[in-house]
Amino acid sequence: MIQITDKPFDDEQSLGVLNPYVREWFGKNFDELTPPQKFSFKLISESRNILITAPTGSGKTMSGFLSIISKLFDYSLAGTLEDRVYCIYVSPLRALNNDIHRNLQRPLEEIYKMVLKKKGVNVIKEGIKNVTIGVRTGDTPQKERAKQLARPPNILVTTPESLAIMINSQRFVESLKGVEFLIVDEIHELANNKRGVHLSLSIERLAAMSDKDFARVGLGATVAPLDEAAKYLVGYRGDELRDCTIVDASWSKKLEVMAMSPAKDLINTPDNVIEDETYKRLNSIIENNRTTLIFTNTRSGTERVVFNLKRRFHYGEDIAAHHGSLSRETRLDVEELLKKGSLKCAVSSTSLELGVDIGTIDNVVQLGSPKSVARAVQRIGRSGHSYKAVARGEMIVLNRDDMVETAIMLDSALKRRIDTFSVPKNPLDVLAQHVVGMSLTKKWNIDEAYDVIRSSYAYHDLPREDFESIVGYLAGDYVGLESRHVYGKIWFDKETQMFGKRGRLAQAIYMLNLGTIPDQVAINVVNVKDKKWIGNIEEEFLSRLKEGDIFTLGGKLYKFEYAKEMKCYVSDANTNAPTIPPWYSEQLPLSFELANQIGEFRSEFADVVRAYIKSNRIKSLVQFDKLPEEIDEYLGRLPVDENSKFAIFGYFLEQILYADLVPNNRLLLIEQSKSLDGKEVYVIFHSLYGRRANDALSRAVAIKLSDMLNREIGLMVNDNGFVLVLDGRVNVTERMVKEIMGSITAKSIEPMLKENIRRTEMMKRRFRYVAGRAFMILRNYKGRRMQVGRQHINAQLLLNAAEEIDPDFPLIKETYREILNEVMDLPRAEQVLRGIKAGEISYKMINTIYPSPFAHNMITFGHADVVLMKERHEYLKSLHKMVLENINRKK
Amino acid sequence: MMRLNSDVELLDGMPIAHIRSLSMIVVSDLHLGYESHMAKRGTLIPKVNLKRIVKDLGKAIDTTGAKTILIDGDIKNEFSRVEEDEFNEFYDIVQLIKKRGLSLILIKGNHDNFIERYREPFGIKVFRQQAEINGYLFFHGEELPDVKKDTRMLIMGHEHPSIGIYTTARKEKVRCFLYGSYKRKPLLVLPAMGYFAQGTDVNLEPKGNLLSPIFKHVDIDRMEAIALGYGSTMSFGSVGKLRSARP
Repeated sequence: MIQITDKPFDDEQSLGVLNPYVREWFGKNFDELTPPQKFSFKLISESRNILITAPTGSGKTMSGFLSIISKLFDYSLAGTLEDRVYCIYVSPLRALNNDIHRNLQRPLEEIYKMVLKKKGVNVIKEGIKNVTIGVRTGDTPQKERAKQLARPPNILVTTPESLAIMINSQRFVESLKGVEFLIVDEIHELANNKRGVHLSLSIERLAAMSDKDFARVGLGATVAPLDEAAKYLVGYRGDELRDCTIVDASWSKKLEVMAMSPAKDLINTPDNVIEDETYKRLNSIIENNRTTLIFTNTRSGTERVVFNLKRRFHYGEDIAAHHGSLSRETRLDVEELLKKGSLKCAVSSTSLELGVDIGTIDNVVQLGSPKSVARAVQRIGRSGHSYKAVARGEMIVLNRDDMVETAIMLDSALKRRIDTFSVPKNPLDVLAQHVVGMSLTKKWNIDEAYDVIRSSYAYHDLPREDFESIVGYLAGDYVGLESRHVYGKIWFDKETQMFGKRGRLAQAIYMLNLGTIPDQVAINVVNVKDKKWIGNIEEEFLSRLKEGDIFTLGGKLYKFEYAKEMKCYVSDANTNAPTIPPWYSEQLPLSFELANQIGEFRSEFADVVRAYIKSNRIKSLVQFDKLPEEIDEYLGRLPVDENSKFAIFGYFLEQILYADLVPNNRLLLIEQSKSLDGKEVYVIFHSLYGRRANDALSRAVAIKLSDMLNREIGLMVNDNGFVLVLDGRVNVTERMVKEIMGSITAKSIEPMLKENIRRTEMMKRRFRYVAGRAFMILRNYKGRRMQVGRQHINAQLLLNAAEEIDPDFPLIKETYREILNEVMDLPRAEQVLRGIKAGEISYKMINTIYPSPFAHNMITFGHADVVLMKERHEYLKSLHKMVLENINRKK
Repeated sequence: MMRLNSDVELLDGMPIAHIRSLSMIVVSDLHLGYESHMAKRGTLIPKVNLKRIVKDLGKAIDTTGAKTILIDGDIKNEFSRVEEDEFNEFYDIVQLIKKRGLSLILIKGNHDNFIERYREPFGIKVFRQQAEINGYLFFHGEELPDVKKDTRMLIMGHEHPSIGIYTTARKEKVRCFLYGSYKRKPLLVLPAMGYFAQGTDVNLEPKGNLLSPIFKHVDIDRMEAIALGYGSTMSFGSVGKLRSARP
């Protein structure tokens, strides 16, 4: 049973379970127990499965380890501590592993010294040994590994990939069989992706070969739903979910948050004023605190902020950037400086939001929306290192949609409402990898193997036929008997229902190609006309490009033509409307839940504004020096500053005066309008369901409309809706919209999308990842690394051939699953469609001369660059001006 | 069916030419054994090449009633030796052809080392460089042919021609025959029959990148591209025109 506990044990109960030496050491080093420790010491000492969520600085690591260390010293003092592994610690971060090693080494030595002092020479007589700890990652030198094999450490610190290797090494497995505790750290970074699913299978396989069921400890930042994370951690024994106790201490740190706008009017205030004001605020926050951490959402944004702060306020080496494109050394230097407290301010894209110990931060500033409540809490939680300190965070926002979004996000954070994650279910590529791994250790009966796999939460509902199709695929069923020795990774005997490893190379292939993270490289962008090199983009960005997409690179606009291997061919775009921003693949999508909350707010606040308009007979926009009382009162409930209230109020007022309707989560507004130059028709779907669901919905709508009109359609997708761009002569009638909406249903959307995805870059590239994970393309074979470009060409040949023999080939099926569920959010899109059918969500079509204010950010989305956005602002301003003129004319 | 002249026709949707007077079908560049070649280098491509070839050849024999099949080079894929799978697939093809009562003629291509050793046991004809049969001059294409006075037509492979066609922001690759002239004789370039020999987009590729030396003497832009796909074969006009039609 999964249960949440909120009753801490008293200190005596907690400390009473500890070995006397360990207790004494704890007393010497800590004044008191932190919130998670008040639960964990006792529960872990009873070898219970436990999931602990807690903020940084709450003694999370110690809460997981201390009872285990205590138990190991019990064994040591009793003279029964053997040279084998008792505790495995797994973290997705390699850097964290070294941290943990350092942080545990000291206590272990100090405690052992206390034992030595007390026992003197008796330690030798009684055979009392120190508890040992060892790190095993991809970086561990061969010499160290050999040492670990000869004398395994009692506590083994490792990564998911290294664990997967160890459980397949027959000799090492012997020393793992008696494991009593398994700790999974940063569980929120694992439970929602294939890397984590891979780990879950490793854990269940380890459990299956262990002498007894070990206790599992999960550590992580705040997640929702908690029980989903717990299920991921513990898995099943037979058909029964293992027990787990959840300790949710993630809210033990107090939050102080505020959304801020650099101006009351984000549209008409000149760019330079907004920029000046933004940096002035940043500077005053930096000056008033000892150490400030700033998050931008993109790497380029990070660099720009550092540059501007240095230029404007004459900072020097006391400000530093930290992001994924910087070298490892540079990043480590910055972390070290932060730890020492010698930085005034660090600016990061996402790289500093996780685990690594960075010392005391007083204040976190977020530029632009972080797009999810969990992420906002995680980032702000980096400030105030002790759990007793207050975590303080400011969010400075530069456009009106982000303004509303962050206000609701922070409000949700204060109300402890977190967006949800889900565990990927039944990924077949990860499964294939593990079936090969399993075959290396022994011969399996297929039923027995199926049972082990089904004990992972991610695979508990794995259809038997999917499992068999993977076994068949790995056994080389898809080629004739005579070439199975080349194609088969395993043998499978239908008579006896047994499978096992095939060939001498199987072990080497497995070890060299294991893992879930695909090889990626920078893509060269080349002009299709003269073959001239323009610049680089990331492969992830290329895979998001759709037909007709227009994007900026080096300040110029290009139209995506086609991609070939590692090259992206473009032509000069003869338009001024980019459809996709260059950071599209870097920025997280808005979550479905948060989008829904925003929808609720839109609907409520629109009523408030409407009532105000009515009672004051407002007909045109007026400048306010002071907010109307009812407005001030309503917005005053949100954690926003004064400027933000004006900005939000103005936004809603304009929308209502101009279009009367404010789209929300139960009202899908479909607006047909024109671009300012009249050259393009926009059909704007104000579908507030988050980017991933919108990605699915928008494609379906575009397919239908494009079929209907028999012409090319541009598509812009973002968090708050999507825009179909047509050439200016087209008129989309209400009847057409009705027909389209009627033809897209929860049932029909999946086949439509599959058909649409089939020929995209996304499919080609994702198939390569899947084929790599499932060992159909061996990235490392007989000591040779296959270049990414080669992998890509081969993946395409493979895809064509696989389709030829079976359109339902397991790896093709998995590629669709990954795209529809991880890149897009098909389940949520279907939920929306069901809502429309049931009448819970209504849609309405309107025609406007110029796009309504709530559409402006969507239309200018392609221009959007979070920090520097002059071009976009210009366009926004002109849109806004037209709308205002229109409102005033109406009067 | 597309007729080049009263004697030579191209079968619908297939990379196969039919010479009526010789009762012969002509194909090129089968690259048998491709998948196992790839498998040995770490990419496990399912086997589809042989299946497709067998299907197409069977259909061609049915519709034409041909008595001879000529393979204009590169029946197999590996340069340096004959791999086991290549041999097996080669064996299957020969058996199929024999069972249907056809005789087989091979022109040796650059991939076809060691192919001569099968001349005796399989009872097939192998020509090292080129073969002239009743005025038809077959050659693979990696060297220039020796044109005779009475040559009626030259037929080659090697180049794997295709054309790249842009539809809305996507490029489609379609295999094609090329038809033009060399030394005032008609020249037909066959598309590759191998499933994985995707082809070189001759209308996109700079002329200097073409493989065969014959294109130093023949302006490919003046050749007609006859594309095949989706069950039909049709002329797309000159390569030069297709080149300038690019976006």
